[in-house]
Amino acid sequence: MLRVAIRSLRAHRLRFALTVLTVALGVAFIAGTNIFTGSLRGAFDALVSQPRADVTVRAGATDGGSIQATLPESLVAEVAALPGAAGAVGVVSAEGAYVLGADGTPVGVEGPPARGRSWVGDASISAVSLVTGRAPSGPGEVALLESTAQDSGASPGSTVRIDTPVAGVREYTVTGLVTRGLSGGLGGTLAVFDLPTAQEVLTEPGTVTAILVTALPGVSQDELAAQVSALVPEATRVETAAQARDDVVQRIQEGFAFFNTFLLAFGVIALFVSTFLIFNTFSMLVAQRSRELALLRAVGASRAQISLTVLLEAAIIGVLAAAIGLLGGLGVSLLLRWVIGALGADLPGAPLTLTGGTIALALGASLLVTIASALLPARRASAIPPVAAMREGAATSPRSLRRITFMGLALVVAAVVPATAGLLLADSDGERAAQLTGLAAALGLVGVLALTPALARPVLGLFGALFRSRVVGRMASANAIRNPRRTAATASALTVGLALMTAVSVLGSSARASVEDVVDSTIGADFVLIGPGFRPFTPEVYDAVRDLPGASVVTYVRTIPVSIDDAQSPVTGVDPAVITEVLDIPVVTGSVQDLGLGSALIDTELAQSLDVAAGDTVTGTFVNGEGKLRIVGTFEPAGPVRGFITTLPTLNSIGTLTRDTAVYIALQPGASPDAVRQELVTRLAAFPSIDVQDQADIKRDINGQFDALFGLVYALLGLSVIVAFLGIVNTLSLSVVERTRELGLVRAVGMSRRQVRRLVTLEALLLAALGTLLGLSLGLVFGVLLQRVLAPQGISVLAVPFAQLAVFAVLALIGGLAAALWPAWRAGRMPVLTAIAQT
Amino acid sequence: MHDAAPPAARARALTKIYGEGDTRVVALDAVDLDIEPGTFTAIMGPSGSGKSTLMHCLAGLDSSTSGDVYIGDVLITGLSDRALTRVRRDSVGFVFQSFNLVPTLTARENITLPLDIAGAPVDEEWLATVIDAVGLADRLDHRPSELSGGQQQRVACARALASKPAIVFADEPTGNLDSQSGAEVLGLLRRSVDEFDQTIVMVTHDAGAASHADRVIFLADGHVVGQLERPTAEEILARIGELAAPRGAR
Repeated sequence: MLRVAIRSLRAHRLRFALTVLTVALGVAFIAGTNIFTGSLRGAFDALVSQPRADVTVRAGATDGGSIQATLPESLVAEVAALPGAAGAVGVVSAEGAYVLGADGTPVGVEGPPARGRSWVGDASISAVSLVTGRAPSGPGEVALLESTAQDSGASPGSTVRIDTPVAGVREYTVTGLVTRGLSGGLGGTLAVFDLPTAQEVLTEPGTVTAILVTALPGVSQDELAAQVSALVPEATRVETAAQARDDVVQRIQEGFAFFNTFLLAFGVIALFVSTFLIFNTFSMLVAQRSRELALLRAVGASRAQISLTVLLEAAIIGVLAAAIGLLGGLGVSLLLRWVIGALGADLPGAPLTLTGGTIALALGASLLVTIASALLPARRASAIPPVAAMREGAATSPRSLRRITFMGLALVVAAVVPATAGLLLADSDGERAAQLTGLAAALGLVGVLALTPALARPVLGLFGALFRSRVVGRMASANAIRNPRRTAATASALTVGLALMTAVSVLGSSARASVEDVVDSTIGADFVLIGPGFRPFTPEVYDAVRDLPGASVVTYVRTIPVSIDDAQSPVTGVDPAVITEVLDIPVVTGSVQDLGLGSALIDTELAQSLDVAAGDTVTGTFVNGEGKLRIVGTFEPAGPVRGFITTLPTLNSIGTLTRDTAVYIALQPGASPDAVRQELVTRLAAFPSIDVQDQADIKRDINGQFDALFGLVYALLGLSVIVAFLGIVNTLSLSVVERTRELGLVRAVGMSRRQVRRLVTLEALLLAALGTLLGLSLGLVFGVLLQRVLAPQGISVLAVPFAQLAVFAVLALIGGLAAALWPAWRAGRMPVLTAIAQT
Repeated sequence: MHDAAPPAARARALTKIYGEGDTRVVALDAVDLDIEPGTFTAIMGPSGSGKSTLMHCLAGLDSSTSGDVYIGDVLITGLSDRALTRVRRDSVGFVFQSFNLVPTLTARENITLPLDIAGAPVDEEWLATVIDAVGLADRLDHRPSELSGGQQQRVACARALASKPAIVFADEPTGNLDSQSGAEVLGLLRRSVDEFDQTIVMVTHDAGAASHADRVIFLADGHVVGQLERPTAEEILARIGELAAPRGAR
C-alpha cells in the first residue's frame, strides 16, 4: 500500500507540491516562534554568566516609568561599609538622554526609551561593556551604544549633541562604542557618561539612582541583601543578582509572549486555511482515481487498505511539509532575531537550535492537519465498491447538502447567543464580552463555511448572470456550481482570510475614527507640547512659552505612576483653574475646580475595579513612597487623562522630580495659529526633542501608530489569503484534468484556446468572488460586533472603511485572475485529440 | 478536377506516422480521398487500420506527417491552431462515440454550442427544422444526464447539423447504443444527407451501420484497399471477409 501511495504522489507531483507548500507555510510560523523561544532560553542561560553585582539597590519604591527617583550618593559609602560588603558603586541611570542626529532631531526614540547612564569601571558588575575606544571621562565625553552611534552618524572621535533632562542640549566628544546584554534593556538609545557628568546632566550632583554592591567572599547574596535592606530608606528596592536575573527573564518573556502568540495565531490560521486545500485535493484525487481504487478493491484490497493508502499519502505530505516548514521556521526565527538586533539588543550566545520538541511540534501540527483533512476523503475512497472498476465513467452521485446546510444554520443561529450576550455584557464586563464575541465569531465562521455549499448556487447564479449572455460565461458559472462542496471548500479558504482582514480593517478604521473623535471632543487646546514618545520633559519648556503672545492659556500637566494593589495607574496633576479651557474632562461627579490639596478625581473604570467612591481615601505607592489621595469625584476615562486627576501642589507634595508631561496652549480669539506656531518653534529651539502638535498632528501621530500595527496584521493575514489562492490554483488545475474530455469536446466543436482560457479564468473569478463576498460580509459583521463590544474600551465610533474593503475585493479578484493563469494555460494547451481520444 | 462543386473534403498523399525507430507506426500511407458534397461516406477497417486517424486528419483534429488535406477549398494542413479552430467551428460538425455533450449545458444549449462559441446568430427556423428532425422538441431543457444514450447521440447530431457545416464527421456514433437507438441515429444521418444535402463521413466497424452510407471505403494498414457504392450489409461483410482472408493466409 505504501508503494501505491508513493506512486500516486509522484503521479500528481505538482498538486502535492502545492499542498506541501501551503502546510509548510503554517508550520514555518509555528516552528519559527518555537525555535526563537528556544533561542531566547539559550540567551537566558548565557545571561547567568553575564556580569552583575551581587546586590543592586534601586531608588524608588516602585518603578517610576519615566520618572526617576534618586538616592543620596553618601549612601554608597555607608553600604560599602556594611560588614558583608566588599565594595559598592553608585550608578546614575535615567531616561530622557536624547541623542540628536545630524538634522538636530532625536534618533530612534519613537517607542523605546532614550537612556543615559554612568560608566561603571568594574567590568565584573557592569551591564555595559566597551566595544571600541575608551570609557568616557570628564564633562565633555560620552560613549554611545553601537546602534545609537550608527543612527546619529557619530563615531569615536567625532562629536555628538545630546539633549538631557537637566543640562539640555550639549555637545560631547564620543570616546567609544559600547554594547549591552539583555539586562541592559531592549531597544532605544543609550549614552554613557562618567558618574559626575551623569549626575550633572541626568539627575543632580550628589545623587545616584542605583548602588551596585559586591559581597565579601563567604557572604551570600541574600545575607548581603538583608544587611542592605536594613540600612537603606524605605522607598528603595533591594535585589540580589538572582532576583534581578529572574526579573529580566520574566520581563523579556512577557515582552515576547504577545509577539509569539501573535505569530502563532497566524500560523494556526494559515494551517486552518490549508486544511480546505488538502481536503479538496484529496477529495478530487479520490474521485478521479475511483476506478483505480475500485480495481484495487476488485483484486482484493480491503476497505481499510484503501483508506490507509489515502491516509499514507496525507502522512507523507505531512512529513514533507514539516521538514520544509522547519527550514522556513529557522528563517522566521532568524528574522525575529534580526528584529531584536535592530532594536539594539544582542542575544548573547544563543544559537538557533532545532530541539526535538520543535521537530515534534512541527511534525505533530503538520500531520494533524494533513491527516485530519484527508480523513473524510479516505473514508469516501474506501466506500467505492469494487464494481465501480467496471463501470463506465466514475460519476459519483452528488450527496445531499441538507445535513451540512442544517448544521451550518444551527451554528449560525447558535452564534447569535454569545454575540448577544457579548453585546449585553460589553459595558459591565469587557473581557467576558470579548471572549463571548470571539466564540460567536468562531461559531459564525464555521457555520457560514458549512453553509457555503448551499449558498454557492444562488450567489454564483447571481454573479454568473453578469455574463450569462455568453456561452463561455454560462459554462463557467455552471462549472463553478457543478460541485458545490468543492467550490465551497475552495472559496472558504479565501473567506476565512478575508473575513479576518475585513474585521481588522473595520476595527482599525473605527479605532482611528474614535481617536479623532476623542481628540476633537476632549482636547480644547490649540497646541500641545509633548516629549518624544510622550515622555516627560524639563519645566524649562513651560518657562520658555508661558508668556506666549497670542495665547489665552498656557498650562502644563504632570503624570506619575502610582502602584495600588500591584497595578499601576497614572496620577495627573493639573491646574484646576484653567485646565478645563484646554482639556474637556468628562466629569461625572464632583468638579475639577473644587480640587484642593490631597484631593483627587478618579476615573469611573478604575473606581469600579478598586471599589472606591467619593469620600474614600486611596493609599498607593508612589516613586518616593506611600501617599494618599482623597477621592472627591469621578470622571469618564474618555480623553487623554486617565486614572486620577489631582492638583499640581498635591502631586508635588507626594514628591517627584519636576518633569512635565505636556504643555497645553489655547489661543486668544483672532490669534493666527501659524504665527503662534512660528513663535513656539523659535522659543523651543533649545529643546529639539519637544514636539509642537496641533490637533491634526496629534491625530496623525496616533493614527501612524495604528497604521504600523495594522500593517503588520494585514501582512500576516495576507499569507493565509495567499494560501487560499494556491487553493484556487489547485482546484482549478485538478478540475481541468477532470474535464479533459469536456474541454476536448468544446475544442473540437470550435472553441478557441483563448475561449477555453477565458472559461477557466471566469471560473476562478467566480470562486474568488464567492469567497470575497462571504469573507467581506462575515468580516463586516465581525468588525461591527467587535466595535460594539469594544465601545466601552474606547472604540466608540463605528467607521466602515469602504474604500479599503473595495481594495480588498479588487485585490481578491485580481488574485483569482492570477490563480487562473496556470490552469487556464494548461487547459488551453490541452491537445484536442488526446482529450477526446481519452476513454 | 471536377466540373461540378468541389469536394467537401479531400486528402492528397495523406501520410501519418507515429513514433520513431522501433516504435514507428505508419498509420496512414499516402492516402488519396475525395468526399463529394451531399454524400454519406462510411470508412471501415479493422482496429489499427488507420480509419480513426484518417478521420481525425480530415477533420483537422490531428496534423498529418505529410500530404495535404482540404476542407472545401481550404488547405488545412499547416494552419495555426487558431485558424484550424475556426475551420472546425465554421465548416465541420462532429458526432463522437461517447461524451458528446457538455454536461452543464441543456440539450438546446448543447445544440447551439458551436454557434454560441462563434458568437454567430442562431437561425431559429433551421434550428427548429433540425430539432424536429432529431425528434427532441420536448427534451430541449434537459441536461445530458437526464437523457438516454440514444437521445444524447441525437442531440449531438443536431449540434453537428445546427451550424450547417460543410461536412460532418461521425466517429462510431452508434458504438455505445442499443440497436434500436443506433438505427434511429443512422436514420437521422441518412435523412440529413437526403433532405438537407448534408455531407457526412462516418467511421464505423459495424457493417449494418455502414450499409446506410452512399459509399463505403475500406482501409487496411493505412491504405485504401477498396470501396463499395450503396452496398448492403451482406456485401460489406463479404468484402471484409475477402480483405481479411489473404491477410489471414499470410
